[in-house]
Amino acid sequence: MRLMVVMVLVALTAACTGKSSHLEYGLDVKETMRVNLLSEPPTLDWSKATDTTSATVIFNIMETLVNYNLADPELPPIPGLATDWTASEGARIWTFNLRKGVKWTDGTEFIGQHVVDGWERMLNPATASEYAYFLFPVKNAKAFNAGKIKDFKEVGIKINDQGQVVVELEKPMGYFPLLLTHHSTCPIRKDTVAKFGDKWTDPKNIQTLGAYALKVWDHDKNIVLERNENYYGEKAKIKNVLAYMINEYSTALNLFESGKLDFQETIPFKELPQYKNRPGFHSVPSLSLWYMGFNVRKPPFNDVKVRKAFSLAVNRKQVTDLLNGGHTPLTSWVPLGMFGYEKEIGTKFDAAKAAAMLDEAGYKDRTKFPKVSLALNTNENHQRVAENVQAQLKKNLGIDIQVVNEEWKVYLNRLHNDTPSLFRMGWLADFPDPDNFMNVMTSYSDNNYTGWKNKHYDELIEAAASSLDKEKRREIYKEAQKLLTETEVPVVPVFSDVRPILLSERVQNFPLNSINRWILKGVSFK
Amino acid sequence: MIARAWGPAVLGLFVLAVVMSFFNFEISKWQWMLNGVVFFGGAVVFTISRGMTFFVVKRLFETVFVVWMIASLTFILLRVLPGGPFDSEKALPPEVLANLAKKYHLNDSVPKQYLDYMVDLLHGDLGQSYKYIGRDTSAIIAESLPSSVQLGIYALLISYIVGIPAGVLAGWKQGSKTDFAAMFLAISGVSLPSFLMAPIFIMVFCFWLGWFEPALWEGPGYYVLPMVVLGLRPAAVIARLTRASVLEVIHSDYIRTAKAKGLDSRTILFKHVLRNSLIPVLTLSGPLAAGVLTGSFVIEQIFAIPGIAKHLVLSVTNRDYPLILGTTLLFSVMLVIANLVTDFLMAVIDPRVKMI
Repeated sequence: MRLMVVMVLVALTAACTGKSSHLEYGLDVKETMRVNLLSEPPTLDWSKATDTTSATVIFNIMETLVNYNLADPELPPIPGLATDWTASEGARIWTFNLRKGVKWTDGTEFIGQHVVDGWERMLNPATASEYAYFLFPVKNAKAFNAGKIKDFKEVGIKINDQGQVVVELEKPMGYFPLLLTHHSTCPIRKDTVAKFGDKWTDPKNIQTLGAYALKVWDHDKNIVLERNENYYGEKAKIKNVLAYMINEYSTALNLFESGKLDFQETIPFKELPQYKNRPGFHSVPSLSLWYMGFNVRKPPFNDVKVRKAFSLAVNRKQVTDLLNGGHTPLTSWVPLGMFGYEKEIGTKFDAAKAAAMLDEAGYKDRTKFPKVSLALNTNENHQRVAENVQAQLKKNLGIDIQVVNEEWKVYLNRLHNDTPSLFRMGWLADFPDPDNFMNVMTSYSDNNYTGWKNKHYDELIEAAASSLDKEKRREIYKEAQKLLTETEVPVVPVFSDVRPILLSERVQNFPLNSINRWILKGVSFK
Repeated sequence: MIARAWGPAVLGLFVLAVVMSFFNFEISKWQWMLNGVVFFGGAVVFTISRGMTFFVVKRLFETVFVVWMIASLTFILLRVLPGGPFDSEKALPPEVLANLAKKYHLNDSVPKQYLDYMVDLLHGDLGQSYKYIGRDTSAIIAESLPSSVQLGIYALLISYIVGIPAGVLAGWKQGSKTDFAAMFLAISGVSLPSFLMAPIFIMVFCFWLGWFEPALWEGPGYYVLPMVVLGLRPAAVIARLTRASVLEVIHSDYIRTAKAKGLDSRTILFKHVLRNSLIPVLTLSGPLAAGVLTGSFVIEQIFAIPGIAKHLVLSVTNRDYPLILGTTLLFSVMLVIANLVTDFLMAVIDPRVKMI
């Protein structure tokens, strides 16, 4: 009985305390941007982080050599820790001038050696960094990572007498500075890492030089960032960032509704209609691609006519209407919003032509068409798209395909070892250059599951990558994309994704961008 | 004298700790130690005085065996499961994969990996997580378990406080409106899933009434809803079991005798019926407690509670072998211990129970 009384009292007290508006960690809500990170960042060690959650935190506490101009939709590179750069030997040697007077959070001066240390650590086989391959274009970097070269001095990065960073590449690469916008290429404090080992990313140990500094990291719960008063550039406008790690969308939306969040990305598509007309709602196109691939090693898709028939038979617009989230229908390989995108490229929907093409391939009698399945990883949206494609193929080509789904890791394993004849896959930009997308389909790419190999395509991609001439590159990518999506068709691009974003009414100057880089230093409150 | 004071002391200290944790008071080192001494010291004294030493020691050995079996099976099943920890959306080049395999010893033969794991386990080392790079599995468990246990204890308390009286009342007044009402609620509690109950509670208590917080784990206002939602189902189970058990006891001979000799119904209910009808409830408590204390994935997701259930589920999705093994072992140990404590409590409450 007494316990009952206690419980009732407890409930009453809770009811009274429930409405107070102070924040955890003694933060003042007026000076705190409250964001949802969606999940616990697997690591804040930028040499090892591979996921977008970790990257979001890292980009706010660290600075890259090269930044993007987030205000420009084409995301051109602008100076970061490097003030300017020049290419020589036809873009094989790159020289970077470093910013002077930049200080780490402990007051140490930033120098070129910190960049070298960062790269050495990332490429060191013992670090086992997953993104190490990002630097493989650098001379001898791959051999060093494979343990074939033991001395890092042989790798193509040096500091010259003027304190410039000089990078020597294996072969010319016109867009090399864009690689240095990636978090994995940030400079690092070797002394900190050596002193604290795996614990160097704890708030009390970590040394950073970005606009915010890491104050608290309560695993699975919160991250708190505080304005870095030593930051070299314009100081962050909002003093603190309080990041939650809520992966259940409806929970995050509940918190947003009760005024506890300022920023939420990702809204379930079912709930989009009720948010679409809100003032703080934004639908941001994302540099990404949802496509279907054919296994061209096996019948029936070893026949290009069958592949073309499939590509012609899918009305992309119908798929994006179904998703109802502002996705862009896509027939080209390079997505909307990226240099090299051409709306006209690709096989456009044409049901009559598709059927004729399949007849021509020798399947006039549709019952003779082999049984094929569209494979995908288990996901509600993928399932909806796949079922729509299934219906379209039935209607436009008169053939039945199965839709089969598998758990993510099982699916990835199958793509590598026993590629299904028809599968769905996606690509999300690492950096805003068409090479990032076009390279996926080269014959030597680890991400090309189709088995399609085309020497001419490889040559085109290499020529475009090594060029500094923008117009020439545009032409080459046009040709390569036509080869890929109109002539050979090992893949069927379907749509490119969007990110629905909710911002609270007090937030302004939020840098919405297509590469999902949420840099908060310029954000302010009304 | 000491033996008589032990029960109330345990209960008192326990309630104190629960109330303090609920209001976010820090429980001091001294209080932990006092609790430990009273709980375990008392248990040891009791065990020896009742001649149960052999039984308890035997059960502890069995626990070690069970844990070893579970560790081995989990280890083998993980190696059979298709898809590895480093299969990712963006395929990694062979050089990078080789470095990863070397770092995590994935290229060693399976027997060697197994032996290494067992040796580390004996040293209390669960290894580093693959997903949460550089973090020890044991640290992840130590950081996420407390919230789950805290929530679990609140939910269990709720379920006993609600379930037992409801069950007794329903059984005692069998066929009455109270009985029907209580059993209707109990059936609803058993059959309505928590992913449905939680949003309904959130809608009513957060958005309509504004009493509690919709999510997060910060203080009393945040604890109430998840603990009620999590406690509903066990409360319903306990209510139904108690009712059945009360009915059985009521119809037994000694109750008839008690009635015949003119005892008033209050005495019969509290002294004879209640005590005897709680034994089946106690039997059920072991598995129930283990289930609730190890957290609920659904509740933790919906209320954004930083608990351990998330790791149990997501570690499998991520193929994070050390974390899968760590959480699985933790759950099995908790289940075995909960059963052990239940058996022990049975001996305390029912002197007829003999432990061999």
